[in-house]
Amino acid sequence: MPTWWAVMLVVMVFPGIYACRNRVFHALVLGLTMHIALLLVFLYAPTEQMQGMVQKIFYFHVAAALTMFGAFLLVCVASSMYLWKQAEWWDAIACSAAEIGVVFCTLVLITGPLWARPIWGTWWSWDPTLTLTLVLWLIYVAYLLLRLETSAPQRARFAAIVGIIGFVDVPLIRWSVEKWRTLHPKPVLVQAGGTTGLTSAMLLTFLVCLGAFVLLFFYLLRERVSLAQSQHALAVVRQEIDEHCAG
Amino acid sequence: MKNFWYLVAAYATIWTALWVYLLHLSQKNKALRAELRVLQAQLEKVLTK
Amino acid sequence: MATPSNSCIARMSGSPRFLHQVLALLAKDLKTAWRTRAMFTAMFVFAVVVVVVFNFAIGADTELMRQVAAGVIWIALSFASVLGLQRSGQLDSEEDSLQGVLLALQDRSALFVAKMLAQLLYLLVVGGCTVPLCGLWFRLDLLACLGALCVALTLGLLGLSIVGTLFGMLAMQTRACEVMLPMLFLPVSIPVTIAAVQATTQVIDGKSLREVADYLVVLGVFDVVFFALALIVFDYIVEE
Repeated sequence: MPTWWAVMLVVMVFPGIYACRNRVFHALVLGLTMHIALLLVFLYAPTEQMQGMVQKIFYFHVAAALTMFGAFLLVCVASSMYLWKQAEWWDAIACSAAEIGVVFCTLVLITGPLWARPIWGTWWSWDPTLTLTLVLWLIYVAYLLLRLETSAPQRARFAAIVGIIGFVDVPLIRWSVEKWRTLHPKPVLVQAGGTTGLTSAMLLTFLVCLGAFVLLFFYLLRERVSLAQSQHALAVVRQEIDEHCAG
Repeated sequence: MKNFWYLVAAYATIWTALWVYLLHLSQKNKALRAELRVLQAQLEKVLTK
Repeated sequence: MATPSNSCIARMSGSPRFLHQVLALLAKDLKTAWRTRAMFTAMFVFAVVVVVVFNFAIGADTELMRQVAAGVIWIALSFASVLGLQRSGQLDSEEDSLQGVLLALQDRSALFVAKMLAQLLYLLVVGGCTVPLCGLWFRLDLLACLGALCVALTLGLLGLSIVGTLFGMLAMQTRACEVMLPMLFLPVSIPVTIAAVQATTQVIDGKSLREVADYLVVLGVFDVVFFALALIVFDYIVEE
């Protein structure tokens, strides 16, 4: 196991860090990692005995969920930095991370039931993590709506406040949902036995998928931040033109 | 190979959503950059008058 | 003209202490609300309407209604809270009193604390009127658990007031304030909803405060964390 970690670190982190410098290189590394991830999922990872082929949804589902949490954490950090430094760049990062986070969140909420239905016999079982994901989806969609409905000077500030509050609420929501969940009847496994735990091959596959998703997140972030900065530059230029024409 | 279609649906959703989003971002980026160039040229004209 | 707002500002600029400012602002808000009493009435009637509609929606099963009574009460109080916040926000923007008040304040969070306390008082009054009615309609024995019930109600309503006042002042300055307030307030206050409903249900069932301590701890932590957070970010909401 320790050897795998070392190999993973070397193979993923260093190109990953370098990819931040160069967009084309980033895209290439991302494409390569995704292909490797897919090959591992479908050809290398053993099929789980109890759940069958459907278990393979787990790799991308959980990778997307972890990346989504990372995205919302980034929103919180970037929002705090924006309130502190008042630099527009931090607001661009918060806004972009929130949008990508909501996309990943939607994917988690779609693949979760698709995994749950054959295994638990029901589409939705109010599982604590999935419920937390649903509440986060509501909060960050409200974040995006707030950005749409607020005009320029207050938009960044208000969005930053909601971004911070939303993430600070996460442990509280998780805690209260778990307490609530203990009162809920747990759905009965349709297939007897349940998960038998992850073998090292599955763990490796999962880590590669997670790495691929993290690279994907940063690539999407790069594109979205550049979009936000273009929008900001556009607004500035428009304002200057208006000032000169009026003056 | 039971429950095969759930697996297909899950991966199809993920890939479609990600590709659509990525393409949407690229298109918007290109459009905005073109508009920015036009507006910047306009601004230069206004400034040099 | 000696409106409550002007006399309040006059009082505040002479006494810079935080508590005095909070009490002065609170007195102003309560005086305004008491003069018309429309807000109390609106919130109370709305809470009652929600309870009655739920009663019809769930059906005639009295045992089922007893089980969901606490949930129905808290939904009614949450929605009444949204109504109260929207009305407060409307009154503030009509009077345009906030600008003058903010200039007179040395520590702007006094405004937040005052508004939060006002909202808490409105909710406690509305709750105090609605809960006995629900006890009557759903055949709950409330007198037996009165103390514990009051504790659970107060902690929960405090959480709703803190989050509600914060988002109320924020949503008021957006274009679609009627939509944004519930969209922000309701998901973020889910821990309060879950914990308060469970605490209330178990207290009504006869459990002591010690047995519902878990839920009261969740409520307490939520209140403390969000109060501290609100004090930190409030300046950013009201700055020009």
